[in-house]
Amino acid sequence: MLISQKSKETIDACRFCWMCRHICPIGNATGQERNTARARALTLSLVERGAVRLADVIDNVYECALCGGCTNNCMTGWDPVKFVKEVRREAAMNDETPEYINRLIDNIESTGNVYGLTASPEIDKLCAALPTVSDTLLYIGTDTRYKAPQYALDAAAVLQKGGVGFTVMRDEPDSGAALDFLVGETEETRETAKKCADALRSYKCVIVLDPADIKLMKHEWREWGIYPDGCEIVTFTSVAVKLIDDGNLTPNRLPVATAYQDSFALARDLDDINDGRMIVEACAELREMLLNRKELIWGGNTLMAEYMPDVIDKVAKNRWANAAHVGAKLLCVASPSEYAAMSKVKPDDMEIMSVPELILASI
Amino acid sequence: MIFNDFTQTMILSELEDAVGRENCSVKPVDKITHSVDYFWLPRMWADRGLNMPEADVIVSPKNAKEVSAVLKIANYYKLPVTTWGGGGGTQGGALPVCGGILLDTKRMNEIYDINEQGMYIECGTGSIYKHIEWAANERGYATMHYPSSLTCSTVGGFLAHRGIGVVSTKYGKIDDMVLKMEVVLPNGDIIETSPAPKHAAGPDLNQIFIGSEGTLGVITKAQMRIYNQPEERRFRGFLFKDLTDAFNAGRELLQKFKPSVMRLYDEAETSTLIKKIVGVSKPGAFMNVAIEGVSEIVEVEQKIMLETFARYGAEDLGSEYGEKWWKEKITFFYPGHMMDLPQMFGTMDSIAPYDKIEKIYWAMKEAIETNFPMARFIAHFSHWYEWGAMIYDRFIVDDVPSDPHEALRLHNAIWNCGVRTAIANGGVVNDHHGVGMKLGRLMKEQYGPAMQVFEGLKAALDPNRIMNPFKLGL
Repeated sequence: MLISQKSKETIDACRFCWMCRHICPIGNATGQERNTARARALTLSLVERGAVRLADVIDNVYECALCGGCTNNCMTGWDPVKFVKEVRREAAMNDETPEYINRLIDNIESTGNVYGLTASPEIDKLCAALPTVSDTLLYIGTDTRYKAPQYALDAAAVLQKGGVGFTVMRDEPDSGAALDFLVGETEETRETAKKCADALRSYKCVIVLDPADIKLMKHEWREWGIYPDGCEIVTFTSVAVKLIDDGNLTPNRLPVATAYQDSFALARDLDDINDGRMIVEACAELREMLLNRKELIWGGNTLMAEYMPDVIDKVAKNRWANAAHVGAKLLCVASPSEYAAMSKVKPDDMEIMSVPELILASI
Repeated sequence: MIFNDFTQTMILSELEDAVGRENCSVKPVDKITHSVDYFWLPRMWADRGLNMPEADVIVSPKNAKEVSAVLKIANYYKLPVTTWGGGGGTQGGALPVCGGILLDTKRMNEIYDINEQGMYIECGTGSIYKHIEWAANERGYATMHYPSSLTCSTVGGFLAHRGIGVVSTKYGKIDDMVLKMEVVLPNGDIIETSPAPKHAAGPDLNQIFIGSEGTLGVITKAQMRIYNQPEERRFRGFLFKDLTDAFNAGRELLQKFKPSVMRLYDEAETSTLIKKIVGVSKPGAFMNVAIEGVSEIVEVEQKIMLETFARYGAEDLGSEYGEKWWKEKITFFYPGHMMDLPQMFGTMDSIAPYDKIEKIYWAMKEAIETNFPMARFIAHFSHWYEWGAMIYDRFIVDDVPSDPHEALRLHNAIWNCGVRTAIANGGVVNDHHGVGMKLGRLMKEQYGPAMQVFEGLKAALDPNRIMNPFKLGL
């Protein structure tokens, strides 16, 4: 396989090591041995040695959420996410990507978004109500636009109540996050990302709603040399915290035991474990789940639900169980896609709110 | 029956009916991932790009009822059944060497009860032990079963091969930690062991199935003990002049109270692994001890320990090394720290009373180093009792034959030599990794005519000999 030497070394290091098994949200949901970094590495090591065909194991490469739980857990710093992404790229280069993944890639080519959807009336209405020109942009992202539009409406309402002037792009370009997930760093991914980066250059500040998007912007965009220098790109949660700290928003704490679902992109990739947590503490009674901050267990997303919906439902249910174990009655979620996935299987006796929704409910 | 596409699909459809189609797999990826466990030989085999024997079908039942259905089908068609928990075993116990059905237990991961009055967690044996530790921690308790494989392995896996954790000297081995079990017998009958383990109602059924490595049935549910979290856990490192002083000191201490952690390293391991991870660089035998529990008692125990060890000339290294070891205790086993391919290595753990354990150490060291001069020998002693201790001795070979068949022969020759030496000097074939395929041939040498007890159980419970064939010497 044409993958980096580092990935080959990681595959050989991980192929006989089970130490991160317990933390994998997919493996914990399915109970399948193949859903471990070890199994993935073992089979890929055999592909590398010519004993197994990539086509026979590629489905398993797409069962990884890239959440980085294994990477974060590894005491010696191996990064299974890296080799998984490189193997996805290798599969794409050799036309070995599974058909159900090709369908999603085709959606991006034909509609500009991975879901193949062509309209988002809620967001169109929001755009119409906002000024078309501003030096601040609220970047909504594909998952929010098509799978969790209310998340965006609530975020916009928070910014408006906080006195922030901003606009939203009606034809917002895709950040490249979906392609990066599906095929890793290909020319097509970089091109998609560059179009988005170029579109953001005209703004002084971009408030990014989806942690998956800002993770790509802060990491991969920089690596690829397309980061729009001069444009300040910030998370929605950091802006909301500042609005609260500055007294522009004055929440009253709701008397509800609330668990906070860290976003892996924020906590693990951007080292942001505080902003969302501070918001929950300001707006409700924070009840920490056993596994939180960088130790979080991922709760699902809408992209993987496109091709393995039953497993993603189980992943989300497992995380709901963690919240219930600590007596939480409300779950506050920082990722729009995770919010949508977890909303789908919400237990009857618990509630779910997005970060902006919780802020609105408390002011 | 002739096993062709037709008959195989017929049997597969029966298995799918038993556990659900989505829980039956004949996919290459599932067969491959269940063909290599933590045993050095399959790892070497895979490293050389060679294929290990694979199961014909992987089934993942959810509970005892589904396991029962699978075993009834397997018995009818006389198909081998190999049970797989986490796959982290070092002895090849989970390898499907005869093909047939591989029964993966990890869907049996329900936590049925966290019983604070009875001080146990009842769970499916497919639960990862770390997950039941989390469940205990959420209520303020602990399982006190902390092997290096805590995050990798299942409750059933630990029970099946008689596992042990690092605080065993105080809290015991896995066989001390189980109250009651549900077991599916090879004929599909679902049985429960006695409601409590300490009784006079005949032999302890638990102990018949614990350590049976899937040869007598499938353990599907267990009640595992939980403990109060200690008010404090104090560490102390000591450096002894030699192993003899350390054994004498350790034996005396165990007559007074039980520390939780007690680990003694020979000079070779002190100067290699311990120096690398913990930082002790002086010559001698390093011992790391932890005492824990109620603070007032811990204070008294520490005083007794310091007085006792001082009489044997131990240098008190303070708490820093022990705390570092506790923090890094799993790091030893990660790629980059642990021995790894292309090296050949193995842990030939044994156990014996104090009058024999040091003799076993020196005999094994001499046997390995004399007969296999290319092998290095290191050892530590990490689980202690009032009457004896276990030896965790390891061999490491850097220059391994390039021909995998020759590598296999050398590996087995070293094992034969080491384990036979342990047995000849009063040790047991294994302490806590089990027997599996690796040591099956040595079981008869260990037990002699006593082996007929195991064979009789096997013949009575599994007359078609479908359960995990060629493991445990059965």
